[in-house]
Amino acid sequence: MSAPPSSPRAPDAQSPTREAAQVFLRRPAALAGLVLFALIVGLSLLGPVLYEADPFDIASAPLTPPWSSEAWLGSDQQGRDVLTGLVYGGRATLAVGATAAGIAVLIGVTVGALAGYFGGVVDEMLMRIAEFFQVLPALLFAMVLATLFSPSLVVISLAIGVVSWPPTARLTRAEFLKLRELDFVAAERVIGASTGRILWKAILPNALPPLIVSATFAIGTAILFEASLSFLGLGDPNRMSWGLMIGAGRSYMLTCWWAVTFPGLMIFLAVLAISLIGDGLNDALNPKLRERR
Amino acid sequence: MALAAFVLRRFLYAAGLVLAVLVLNFVLIRLAPGDPTETLAGQMGGMTEEIRTELRQAYGLDLPMLQQLGIYVGRILRGDLGYSYFFNLPVTSLILERMPATILLLLASLTVSVTLGTTLGVLASRRPQGLLSQLITVGSVVGYSAPVFWTGMLLVILFASVFPILPVSGIRSAAVSQGALRDALDVARHLVLPALSLSFVQMAQYSRLTRASMLDVLGADYIRTARAKGLGESSVFFKHALRNAILPVVTIIGLQFGNMLAGAIVVETVFNWPGLGRLAFDSVLRRDYPTLLGLLFFSSLLVIVANQMTDLAYRFVDPRIKAG
Amino acid sequence: MLLASAAVAQEKRGGTLVMGQSVPTAQFNNAVASGTGVMVPGAQLFASPLMHDESWNPKPYLAERWEIGADALSVTLHLRKDAVFHDGKPVTSEDVAFSILAIRDNHPFNTMLRPVERVDTPDPHTAIIRLKSPHPAILYAMGPPLMPILPKHVYGDGKPIKQHPNNARNVVGSGPFRLVDVKPGDQFVLERFDKFFIPGKPYLDRIIVKSYPDSQTSILEFEAGRLHIQPFFNRVLELERAKGNAQLGVTGKGYEAVGGINWLLFNNKKKPFDDIRVRQAIAHAIDKNFIVKALHKGLSKAATGPIHSGFPQYSPDVTAYPYDLKKAEQLLEAAGLKKGADGIRLKLTCDYYPGDEDGQKRLAEYMKPALKRVGIDVEVRAPADFAAWAKRMADKDFDISMDAAFAWGDPVIGVNRTYLSSNIRPLVFTNNAQYVNPKVDELLATAERESDQAKRKALYAEFQRIVTADVPLYWLTELPYHTIYNKKVQNVPTTIWGTASPMMDVWLAD
Repeated sequence: MSAPPSSPRAPDAQSPTREAAQVFLRRPAALAGLVLFALIVGLSLLGPVLYEADPFDIASAPLTPPWSSEAWLGSDQQGRDVLTGLVYGGRATLAVGATAAGIAVLIGVTVGALAGYFGGVVDEMLMRIAEFFQVLPALLFAMVLATLFSPSLVVISLAIGVVSWPPTARLTRAEFLKLRELDFVAAERVIGASTGRILWKAILPNALPPLIVSATFAIGTAILFEASLSFLGLGDPNRMSWGLMIGAGRSYMLTCWWAVTFPGLMIFLAVLAISLIGDGLNDALNPKLRERR
Repeated sequence: MALAAFVLRRFLYAAGLVLAVLVLNFVLIRLAPGDPTETLAGQMGGMTEEIRTELRQAYGLDLPMLQQLGIYVGRILRGDLGYSYFFNLPVTSLILERMPATILLLLASLTVSVTLGTTLGVLASRRPQGLLSQLITVGSVVGYSAPVFWTGMLLVILFASVFPILPVSGIRSAAVSQGALRDALDVARHLVLPALSLSFVQMAQYSRLTRASMLDVLGADYIRTARAKGLGESSVFFKHALRNAILPVVTIIGLQFGNMLAGAIVVETVFNWPGLGRLAFDSVLRRDYPTLLGLLFFSSLLVIVANQMTDLAYRFVDPRIKAG
Repeated sequence: MLLASAAVAQEKRGGTLVMGQSVPTAQFNNAVASGTGVMVPGAQLFASPLMHDESWNPKPYLAERWEIGADALSVTLHLRKDAVFHDGKPVTSEDVAFSILAIRDNHPFNTMLRPVERVDTPDPHTAIIRLKSPHPAILYAMGPPLMPILPKHVYGDGKPIKQHPNNARNVVGSGPFRLVDVKPGDQFVLERFDKFFIPGKPYLDRIIVKSYPDSQTSILEFEAGRLHIQPFFNRVLELERAKGNAQLGVTGKGYEAVGGINWLLFNNKKKPFDDIRVRQAIAHAIDKNFIVKALHKGLSKAATGPIHSGFPQYSPDVTAYPYDLKKAEQLLEAAGLKKGADGIRLKLTCDYYPGDEDGQKRLAEYMKPALKRVGIDVEVRAPADFAAWAKRMADKDFDISMDAAFAWGDPVIGVNRTYLSSNIRPLVFTNNAQYVNPKVDELLATAERESDQAKRKALYAEFQRIVTADVPLYWLTELPYHTIYNKKVQNVPTTIWGTASPMMDVWLAD
């Protein structure tokens, strides 16, 4: 996630975007990631529409092994169908990932932008807060939050978001520190643009490339995070998710390996796809790296 | 003089952070809905009003807020992290008892992941387009993306049923001591799988970082100069490039500490490793708030210390910082 | 006390028994805590005044003899003169007096010794327990899991006994084993106490008690021959697997005094569960046979009423609610609950006590399809954790809920609390059905003091008849607790307390 800074560009640079897209699409790994991600999102969004079932229902005899006609991927200790769980569980997992990453990016960009642009006392204070959240062991803190407030998707997303914003804040701050000194920002100031306009309209678009990369990775991290919490028994018990399936199957894994292996594989593939996309974006949006390859 | 001032400043700053963690801890208990005494009722198999009142007093739940905070901070400064009613032990001794197991696990997996990770990263940077490099790159993305508990569980399933050659649970066999050497070997055998599963993620990170850092350094001017001076390629590579490229890797070890602790919670749970992570999991299951908050405080403290040490180490290692 | 082939075999001395536990032992002092994690090791470390056999008969242990006063207001214990604590000091009546009062004042089972007024010690080997009212339950409260005799010179040093430093380490008792090593959260080692007061016992040199928080690991260790015995096992899946292994034995004996029952709790104060016909209808709609045979694979036993069938006070003469969907529907119609257009006549939520998957969660989940058949739509409210469930119970914020309780030796200790109207309190494990029947209150109060066993039994039989007719809750199964053991283990403990009594007769065959 240590994306080196990009070179500053004027706000509406069309060609670099196209160029970046070309670089991205020429990388087989990134392309594979994109396709995989599209498949997973497609399955999670369309699957429940096309295939109607209750993932909590007892669909077949408990502990039916996979590759059988009544349960293709087997059933868990309660007789719940693993395949149905995979189809229905993706939404919650992806939603938590996206929401938590969204929260982290929102807080991180806001804090980082203010700190980087204003500097001085504001910077000092905000960075102290960021550092405070960075020394809190993220998983443990999220566990405490989810334990104290019973675990629902909202609490889990908030807990993950709250512990994962500092890296984004640091990155944003660095970009803003650098960009605020540049000519086109000075020009905005001269024509009397408001601070808000300078921050969001002038600087932010130029700081976007590394932030996009960072946000992409943040989604992957958040998904892993949700999965870990669910595995530890702190998932939302009323919403099927891949993490919940693993958490429920954990104490049966030696008899019923399929109930943990398949949802784990889905999480792995989702995060892998996101990581590949992130790597591709990093290369594409980072001209310095690009030259070398 | 400048160094002493620097150290003092860092220390004061760290102390501020510790205090902030304490206040946060305190606020968290108060924010929690419900009453921790409810949980204790279950563990005691029943409960009376008298026990409840007694517990509320023991927790100090009946005093004014600020006074409670004062008492809380005072206690912690004396090394008293509270009392675990579930384990019937002071939280401090509980944590200290479980710490060696976790430290062993962390050190083992740190050694494995740093050595293997940097080696792979260096190898990958020698020929960035080569097959080996591609393989290593793909491998590290895979390692980074696989959930720790999932790889751990796959290892358990594999070694429990398919190749039962390594223990998949606990830290030692159920046996009385058979001499220091055999005991150590026994623990080492139990350590293999948990340390490996914790290493995968870390290894991926170190190899990615080393590779990127090496490529960065290899493109720098002074390497070009070294090459221009006619130094041998391996001399350039190892003497000049590696030494500089390893620097960010060293600093990341300290910063990774928090992540490793997170990994330890999950890995210790999968492998029933009786350390701090397993303790955290058990405390979550039993809603043992004093232990959970004690652990949060204690691990924050560890991270703060690790970060400060990294900062200091960095100052000693990197000449550029000293100059500036 | 013998099981399997022990009758022919010759006891062999020595050896190390490896015992598994699923609940880690936090501390060892069972004078101040309950639960299997403390009662099992506590019974090895501390001796108690009495023991009990398989048929509920009290047997001498620390007390050679005992007499109950003619007015039933005193119990005189005559102690053995040769008993010593692990630190070599003799066990005296002072220690007995100290322990009984400490238990009365600190043990979570507060009804267990409530009538004890004081303990007199006329000489070092005689202790006279003075009671405010007759208390027949005390014969069981003096057993190994409930009445450890603590050395006064260690635990009476003024430090708060619940957090006494010798509870978790350096435990001093007078039982057959002493604590030599503790690896917290992992294992502890008990070693033969050479000066144990019963000559020649125990047979084993050592017991290593190892925590297996995960029952899958236990079964792997059993299969590898590394684990010898694990009591209080209630996971159906692993029990089944153990039964299929020729090296392993499985027994349900040794849990009679624990007396655990899983039941369905009705919120009797909430509509429509205040109507007995609705409660009866739900009872008729539940197929206990399916629960026992299919869900528990025959490992549990159907419960018939508030008292476990292993108890001497148990009576089979109760109102039963056979599985009868037609009758259930009639009762619901009569109660005015008509089916809507969607075939649903009533929507309700069902909670469960988290922690026992087979006994609680799976039964709660079974309610959904079962009650659907009579037009009741059940939403299972998965509790986030114990505290969340306990709060719902305490606040009476539920329709129906799965629940369970252990009786621990006598109805006074663990049964009364669920049915006494005086025990309707904002706490978990109290009378949360909010059941009020003055006749029941009176019966229980009389039975608590009735010293004549036959009369007492009749009172409890009457209690069981009334309560099952009122059906404030519906009893589903007895807890499927089992001991898994390697067949090398001889004399597997099968008294009413099972492994929560001293394992001095256990030995290992080659």
